[in-house]
Amino acid sequence: MIIKDTVCPFCGCLCDDIEVTVEDGKIVATDNACTLGTSKFLGDHRMKSPIRRVGKEWKEISYDEAIDYTVDMLLDADRPLLYGWSGTHGEAQCVGVHMAELLKGVIDNTSSVCHGPSILAIQEVGHPGCTLGQVKNRADIIIYWGCNPIDAHPRHLSRYTRYANGFFLENSFRDRKVIVVDVRKSQTTNLADEFVQIKPGCDYAVLSALRAIVRGKGDDLPRTVGGVQREQLFRIVDLCKKAKFGAVYFGLGLTMTAGKYKNIRNAIELVDELNRHTKFTISAMRGHYNVYGSNEVNTWMTGYPFGIDFSRGIAFYNPGETTAVDILARKECDACLIVASDPAAHFPRPCIEHLAEIPVVQIDPYANATTAFCDVQIPVGITGIDAAGTAYRMDGVPIRTKKVLETAYPSDEEILGSVYARIQEVRQP
Amino acid sequence: MSTSIIWYLREFLRMEWLRTFLFAKTAPLVTPPYFKDYPLPTGNECTACYNCMMICPAPGAIEVLRHTDHWKPMIHRGHCIRCGLCVEACPEDVLWSGRVLDAKRNDATDLRSWYRLTVDDTLCMRCGNCAVSCPVNKQADPSLASTGTASSDEVIMKIEGGRVRVIHEEKCTGCKTCENNCPNKAIRVARMVEGIQERGA
Repeated sequence: MIIKDTVCPFCGCLCDDIEVTVEDGKIVATDNACTLGTSKFLGDHRMKSPIRRVGKEWKEISYDEAIDYTVDMLLDADRPLLYGWSGTHGEAQCVGVHMAELLKGVIDNTSSVCHGPSILAIQEVGHPGCTLGQVKNRADIIIYWGCNPIDAHPRHLSRYTRYANGFFLENSFRDRKVIVVDVRKSQTTNLADEFVQIKPGCDYAVLSALRAIVRGKGDDLPRTVGGVQREQLFRIVDLCKKAKFGAVYFGLGLTMTAGKYKNIRNAIELVDELNRHTKFTISAMRGHYNVYGSNEVNTWMTGYPFGIDFSRGIAFYNPGETTAVDILARKECDACLIVASDPAAHFPRPCIEHLAEIPVVQIDPYANATTAFCDVQIPVGITGIDAAGTAYRMDGVPIRTKKVLETAYPSDEEILGSVYARIQEVRQP
Repeated sequence: MSTSIIWYLREFLRMEWLRTFLFAKTAPLVTPPYFKDYPLPTGNECTACYNCMMICPAPGAIEVLRHTDHWKPMIHRGHCIRCGLCVEACPEDVLWSGRVLDAKRNDATDLRSWYRLTVDDTLCMRCGNCAVSCPVNKQADPSLASTGTASSDEVIMKIEGGRVRVIHEEKCTGCKTCENNCPNKAIRVARMVEGIQERGA
């Protein structure tokens, strides 16, 4: 059986044109998908049933026992942390926010260690963004700053930016220019018309220099800025000003280097300056397929995008204080529910050390680095494969993912729903 | 002293020596029939198919240049090794050199060429840049060209079954757009050439 127009639940591109071939209740092939998507669709070695750590052994338990454990753990906790959420669908994220409010806990998603700074900058100066379709149909200059889409979003160039013909670009890849700004050569820089190699940590200075040139104050610049020749900066500004429509995409090379959210703020303000001459937009290369959705769900339910602390009874947001890394590093958190993410693979060591000391439940289809630090792991259906749900693409477009396989696994929403119902019984009798 | 000078002149100004030196009889310089000089134009019209440039083994030896109203191959003599392959490869007999054209006609031989596409699956990310950028694909499948979604089997290659599947290799014109736009250098275009001889010759 071939299922057309399947949505790929891997990266923020959410490619919705995948053809999945299903035989005997297994996915055997995918068409149109990139390597990352294909390996997610064909993924094997799913965890069979919930497991619980008993001494030094893992013991298989039932879903009911796992839910009992989770409910008890969360009800006993004074400061529970509900972390993750980027690899699951919006409906499950909704349940998570309700649960955090009822538990007076903290809910945070993976953007606090990835594009959180982008959101902080957007909160300060706004977001001159647009959908990917606009870029595909109009943009004749694309800037990738601090990201390597060939590795992280492989089809971004072929579907939306460089290669796809658009409504106003009939000969796309001759009419479009691509500028890549990075600290080192990457696969994406191989395709660039202009590669700007900057010294690590100099993004802010280079962005400021570009802004100065756009403003007509370029004469005051030194010969090189952040390792970039003055002439090249002038050339880039010239290219940008001549363009009919420009799009900047930035990744963690900009958000997680020195300067953090100030870098993004500067980049947005550069786009603002360029909009005095032509049309320009800027967008983040969101990683997880539904990390954007997690920010959306949190924002419409609590008013804040991530790191929301309900301990006061109302939603409180202070990144750097209410975000997962800080709460774990300060050893405040006394129970942690991890949904659809892998903090043990990404968090600093003191955070992981604290995770190892407190009770942790993880909801994830596969064993991962966090499995080593959790007490119970509950395997679930994978959204977009054996569970359906809504996800937000990196440009903020909600897309309904399909269920292509029938399996016995419950979805994230079902598991979280039953945990929430049990918590409600106790807290809202 | 004087005797020695006379002895010297007598010893070295012998008449036979002078005669053989001044009236040496060697065979006249004749260009042998098998000599291959630098290729020269025959006057036939060049169609700019570039077969000559593509087969030339010496870098920078031949260039097909556009003049105001016609194309013409130009030989750079410092680089040319006079192998005659350009003369043999030209379908219009634009160039001439030694007996190459005669031999080709007498033996009814020709060079046949095609392009082979190879994809290294271990390097390939299936980003689709090759399939979307290919100018032949853009003609054959507008859906692939504008959305990255393949909708036809008339294309040269597309992403199918989790890898790049080359379907119509014979449609490849050897422009190397795919190779130049592959970020991982996973796809390679090779021009294959084979000598053929028509039956009955």
